[in-house]
Amino acid sequence: MENTRNPLFTVSDFIALTNQTLEYAYPSVEVEGEVASFKINQDKYVFFDLKDGGGSIGCFMTVWQLRQPIEDGMKIIVTATPKLTQWGKFSLTVRALRPSGEGSLKKSFELLKAKLDKEGLFSAERKRALPALPQHIAVISSTQAAGYADFIKIINDRWGGLKVDVAHVQVQGTDAPDQIIRALKYFNEQETLPEVIVVIRGGGSADDLSAFNDELLVREIATSRVPTLVGVGHETDESLADLAADVRAATPSNAAQIIVPDRQEIIRSMRYRVQSVLPRTTQAIESKRVELGETLQRALDAVERQVLRADEQVVRLRQVLTQLDPHVILKRGYGLIRGEQKVGSHIEIETYRAIIRAKVEGYDKK
Amino acid sequence: MTKNNDSTIQEKITTLDALVAWFDSDDFTLEIALDKFKEAETLAEEIERNLSSLKNDIEVVKQKFDQV
Repeated sequence: MENTRNPLFTVSDFIALTNQTLEYAYPSVEVEGEVASFKINQDKYVFFDLKDGGGSIGCFMTVWQLRQPIEDGMKIIVTATPKLTQWGKFSLTVRALRPSGEGSLKKSFELLKAKLDKEGLFSAERKRALPALPQHIAVISSTQAAGYADFIKIINDRWGGLKVDVAHVQVQGTDAPDQIIRALKYFNEQETLPEVIVVIRGGGSADDLSAFNDELLVREIATSRVPTLVGVGHETDESLADLAADVRAATPSNAAQIIVPDRQEIIRSMRYRVQSVLPRTTQAIESKRVELGETLQRALDAVERQVLRADEQVVRLRQVLTQLDPHVILKRGYGLIRGEQKVGSHIEIETYRAIIRAKVEGYDKK
Repeated sequence: MTKNNDSTIQEKITTLDALVAWFDSDDFTLEIALDKFKEAETLAEEIERNLSSLKNDIEVVKQKFDQV
């Protein structure tokens, strides 16, 4: 009776059936616990136990699935499929994991930061400048997020004529890093590359923002052909994606302010610059006026000098003429003789005061 | 950047910069300063009109990123 009610399996079949049952019942589970006995074998396989006060489960994953560093004692959440191995050991095959709780998130962040920093991913020499007036940009964000709405509003307020290609992706959760990576690859492979790739996400909890501390995502940002601008969270939040980007924005709104200039500011500056040439022109006019005045004054001075010189000459000539005036000579006591100067001639002698008529009685040459 | 009257706003701003710089250069002469100023003023007004009227072209790409 027993045999007819209970099916008989081979060990292999029973393991296979158990796995089928598990897969049907729990195709994907998330389990939270503390990491213990963490180890990496042959640089490929990752083993650790996930435990809490009441139990422990062995976990397995590959190194390339390990996107955030972990170590013993850290609290994590694994996304996994339960499995019974062919040796009868129950384990979780982990597809993804993420640190859980502030302490673990911080620890994981610091471990990866130190690792990538050592590789030079965050060094200032790698940073490229963004174009001052881009014409074509790409944006990677969730189009439903408030941060995205802020970004679009600000670029529309500040600037125009910009071509903006938007990749709608998840910006939190397990799938977010891969979606952002795919979007980065997509824009980097376009025939016409955008001039900047902007990755934005508004504020959130440390867990929400942890997608931006994913190792593969950080590396993808660091190696992007197109310069990157990353604005994640609030001003005080720091993500590794921020650090790997060419330019870091404090928030999505700040990213918009960085990427495009403010047209009102440009208009104000333009008006100011055009008006600023007026003083130069006025100064040049004033300078010409002064120069002209000086030239006229010099001409006037020259004329005055000539007139003065002529006046002086006239005075001098007048003095000479005065000296030559016969009346002046007569006044000095001389006399003017008219008539033939020979003995017996009648002559007229003019003095200053009289005209004297006389007869020449003697004439001797000196 | 959107083309307008065969020149981009960037090109117009560059032209305006050159016009303004002329006033501080050794080429400055009072005889043509007024013409240059009028030219700069007209260009600045044109750039202002262009800047105020331009709209951004925002497009969500069709590519889906939630699948490998």
